[in-house]
Order: sequence, then structure tokens, then C-alpha cells
Amino acid sequence: MTQSDTSIQVRVRDVTKTFVRGSEKLQVLDHLSVDIPEGQFLGLMGPSGSGKTTLLNLIAGLDSPDSGSIEIAGAEISKMSESELATWRTRNIGFVFQFYHLLPVLSAFDNVELPLLLLPMSAAQRRQQVMTALHVVGLDDRMHHRPGQLSGGQQQRVGIARAIVTDPAVIVADEPTGDLDAKSASEILDLLVELKSSLNKTIIMVTHDPRAAQRTDSVLFLDKGRLVNEMPAFSSK
Amino acid sequence: MKYLGLVLRNLARNVLRTSLTGLGTMILVFVVTLVWSVLAFLDQATQSRSEKIKALVTERWTIPSRMPFSYVNLLKDGAAREPGDIKPIDMMSWTFYGGTTDPKGQDPNKFLFAIGMQPEKIPTMLDDLDQGSLSADDFALLMEGVEKLKKTRNGIILGKDRLKSQEKKIGDLIKITSVNYRGIDLEFEIVGTFPPGRYDSSSIFRIDYFNAAMDSYPKTHGGEAHPSAERSLNLVWLLVPDTASFNKVADQITKSPLFSNPSVKVETSSSSIAVFLEAYRDLLWGARWILSPSILLTLSLIIANAIAISVRERETEFAVMKVLGFRPNQLLILVILEALIVGVTAGFLSSGGTYFLVNDVAGGIPFPIAFFSKFMIPQGALWWGPVVGGLTALAGSLAPALSARSVRVANVFSKVNG
Repeated sequence: MTQSDTSIQVRVRDVTKTFVRGSEKLQVLDHLSVDIPEGQFLGLMGPSGSGKTTLLNLIAGLDSPDSGSIEIAGAEISKMSESELATWRTRNIGFVFQFYHLLPVLSAFDNVELPLLLLPMSAAQRRQQVMTALHVVGLDDRMHHRPGQLSGGQQQRVGIARAIVTDPAVIVADEPTGDLDAKSASEILDLLVELKSSLNKTIIMVTHDPRAAQRTDSVLFLDKGRLVNEMPAFSSK
Repeated sequence: MKYLGLVLRNLARNVLRTSLTGLGTMILVFVVTLVWSVLAFLDQATQSRSEKIKALVTERWTIPSRMPFSYVNLLKDGAAREPGDIKPIDMMSWTFYGGTTDPKGQDPNKFLFAIGMQPEKIPTMLDDLDQGSLSADDFALLMEGVEKLKKTRNGIILGKDRLKSQEKKIGDLIKITSVNYRGIDLEFEIVGTFPPGRYDSSSIFRIDYFNAAMDSYPKTHGGEAHPSAERSLNLVWLLVPDTASFNKVADQITKSPLFSNPSVKVETSSSSIAVFLEAYRDLLWGARWILSPSILLTLSLIIANAIAISVRERETEFAVMKVLGFRPNQLLILVILEALIVGVTAGFLSSGGTYFLVNDVAGGIPFPIAFFSKFMIPQGALWWGPVVGGLTALAGSLAPALSARSVRVANVFSKVNG
């Protein structure tokens, strides 16, 4: 990374993470350092167990490193308590999951509104932001549908609307196209690219799919918890 | 409000499970309400009062108590003789008269147990028949009967169940062949009924009618008095203002030489009821300390089971909510609120329904114990239900709620994503 300090959105420094399974210790991240500039669409690739989902979880504040530091938009999150992280996540991180993880009892509108319930906002303000997010993903007309009444691609759009509704600086996506057919996957990637370019969101996406990786600005390859390669996205982009 | 909406929608996601949990809660709250109603009634009956105390005067050494009717006039003043002695505020006498309207004695439903007393004492001395304890309509119904009884020497007031078992209505005549006063067979005119509830099985007639029959007995029996002529008073109630007055009046009576043959004892109504209830001590102890806690524990386990299944099914959802920024305690509250809504709602419906069905439809719980034949559900049961439902729901949901609170996001995603 060559960007100046001011444009670095995510700064990971010398991070290690070890999991214990029974008597075995698995070092998933091994003194890893990464800088991700603001407004970049970054792909994370690597074989299973290489540490990419763990890195994503650490950046998202879902887990804490054993050592090292993680700074997001100037905030040192590796030293925050669980409660502080919860509050911080609501405002600063949007999540897109492989299996959408929408609440089945809630409509598309209510699912998108869920993170806003944690913020001090009026009902009218919440409604406006939800409508805007659903408009961005092109689902204004499906707002009253429950997840079971939507296709996989539509559910993932709702998931993306939920990720952006709090206007976070960083969006993390864990194989967001992994459960979709090629056409829907392509539409979702179009949407993520649009978010990056029009809203200047920093997007970090774990993927196994080279076609998805092609749509990113650059790709980090991890293996055994270490950064083995960094390259701009494939030339066909 | 949005949060509450989420709670309600979570409950609606498995309507069958929520309904069954609610139904189980309702049934157990129903049983608890019945058991506690009986216990509460007996507690109240045996609780010592500090004012407006009823002193019960009965024969000291014999059960059942049978005293000379002449004791009534002697006891009226509480045996006050000396300056400083205290007189009771009010008094009434009880004469138990049993018989049947079926002279062959073959139909048990035709048996009638009635109390001979002074009619004007019905609204002033009998429990729960005063103006403050009855609705305006019920009190008017009672007073209509009382006024007719005052005017009708051979009048009798029958409770609802007694009218039914005798297949009679107000205005009808009934002739009783006595079983405890052989030869004193009385014909009564039914002049009224009691308000529905505690007195459904009771019958009250004028004691002067009975005494007149007793007095005329020798005319038809060769000048011989009835064998029970000097033993027709079963008990006397004296109303005294407070504990000090009770002690004083009791002392006056027990030390008076007027009550030496037979000698009498004076006790509070609560202590005499407590003595009666001694025979049921083990049963009541079991109901209070084994049955009730067992029901409450079962109720907690039912709710714990249902909520635990629900939490386990939604582990990923809770993880997602944590990812979105919900704090662990917010998830804990979410789960507890779900259980509380089921518990409190089911508890209220159950105790409210029990109150209505038992008091207004069935007219009491038929649970004969000591000399109480029926028990009513107290108004307090309207809050017992929600509180019992709520507290057992809270207890039952605590462990599942803690498990929802402690869902580890990274673990859940590693399981889902493989």
C-alpha cells in the first residue's frame, strides 16, 4: 500500500490470532500487517484455514487479536470492550453474509431497520434511511415481503441494504455471492462496485470466486495466516 | 415499541409452541389459583383479628356442644355483673336442626341442615353478608328475605343449592322430619334465598319458631319435656370491639357461676376454626409446601424447555443481531421478554378466567373441609396469575437467556460457513 496515512481507512499491525482446539493450538494469523485505503474494494482470497474470515472478523470487531493492533477510521478497536465494540459496529461497520442471515419473522423493511433501532433516531428518520437503502439496492417495491418470499439475490440485496443503512465507513462481506447463481452473483457484485464508487465505501470481501475477485480494486492472498501476495485485481477488469 | 414488536413477532414464529407453552402455563396457574384460594380463605379464617372480634361460647367438655337455651339471655350481657365489666356489642345464637323432607329417609338429597337464629342478626353477625361485603343487588336480595323472615314466624331462607336439591322455590312450603330433635317436625315457608356464593348450601330459620315447638312438645307427649329441651343451644357468638374486651368478656363468662352446669369455654372464631382444621393439618401442609412448589417448579421447567429450544434454533440469529450491534444484555432481555409475555398473559387469562368461572358461573369451589363447603376465588387471584406466570417465566427463561447472551459470533459463523 502506498497511500498516505490520512487516506488509510483500515490499519492492521502485527496481528496474531491463535485458536485452541482440544490440546492443539492453531495459529490462524501470524504477525499480519495490512493497510486498506479509504474507498477501496479489496478482495481477500486464500485456501480454507488461511485466516481470511478470521481477519475479516477482527477488522469487523467480532473478535479480538491475541497481539497487535487494529485501527479503523482512526479508532483503535483491538482494545475495546465487547460492549464498546457493539456500539462501534452499529455505526461504523456494515456486514454482508454469504447466507444473508435475515430475520425470517421480519419484512425486508424491518430487517433493514434493525440496526437503526440501536441508534437515537426518530421513527420518521429511520423510515427515511431504510427507504433510501432499499432504493439504492433496487427493492423499494419489495419492502413488505418477508425473506421467505424473496429470491436469493433479492435477499442478499436486503442484506446489503441492512449493511449500508447506518452509513458505515467500512463494509465487510464474507463470500456474498457464494450462495447465488451466476446472474444474481453478478448483480450483487455490480451493486457493491456501485456502492464503492458512488458512496466511497471501503469494502472488504472474502471470496473463493475468481470472477468476484475480478471486480475488486485489489486482492490480498493469505496462506497460513500470512500475506503471501498482493496484486491489483485481474487485468480483465 | 419496535423492540416489543420484534418480541411479539418472535413469539408468533412458532404459534403452536407458543400456544402449547401458554396452555401449559394456564393449566398450572389454574391449579395454583384453586389451591391458593382454599389456603388463603383458611388463612384468613384462622387469622386472629385485633378488632371486632367474635367470641364463640360453646360447651367446654362435650363435642358437639349442647347447652341450655337459657344461656342465651345470660350470655347477652357477657356475664357482666361488676362495675367495669364489659358487655358485648352484639350477639347471636346457633341451634343446629337437621332433618329430611323425605319422611322415609331414602333420598339423601332431601336432607336439610338448618340453623335456628335471630333473623335480624343475619346481616350484622354472619361473615360476608354485611352491606360492605355484598354488591347492592345481592344485599337487596338478602334483605328482602330477611325482612320476610322477620314477618314470617315459620319462614326459612335457603341457599341456591338447597333450593335445587329440595326442588323448591321461594313461596313453597317444606315439612322437615327431624333427625336430631325426634318429634320436633317443623313446616317451613321458604321466604328467600342467599346471594350466590358461600351460603349456597345454607339454611336459616327463626329460633323462636323452633323454641315454640319445643315448648309445646309436652302437650302432645303426656307432659314430658323433649329429651333435648335443655340442650338445644349449640353455640353463641358475642361481638366485642377488641382483644382487650375479648379477654375481659371471656374472663367474665368463664368465672361466672351461671355457666357451671354445663361449663362453657370462650374462644375466638379464628382459634376455634384452627382447632377444627387440625384434622386437615397434613393435607393443608402438603398443599402449601409440596403441591404448590411442585407446580411452580413444573411450570418453570415447561417454560425453560420451550424457551431453550427456541434459543437453540435461533443461535445464528442472535449472532447476527450481535454483529449488527445488539449488546449481549439486549439479547438477554429479548429472550426474557418473550417468556414474560407468554407467562404474564397466560397467567392473567388463567386466573381471571378461573375467578370468573368459579365465582360467577360455578358459584364456588366445592371442596368440603371442616365446616366450609365451598370456597370462592379471592380478588387477589387476579394478580396472582400474572405474577406466578411472570416469575416462573423469568426463572425458566434465565438459563436460555444467558445462553443467548453468550453466543459467540465468530463460533457461530465458523459453524455456518464451514
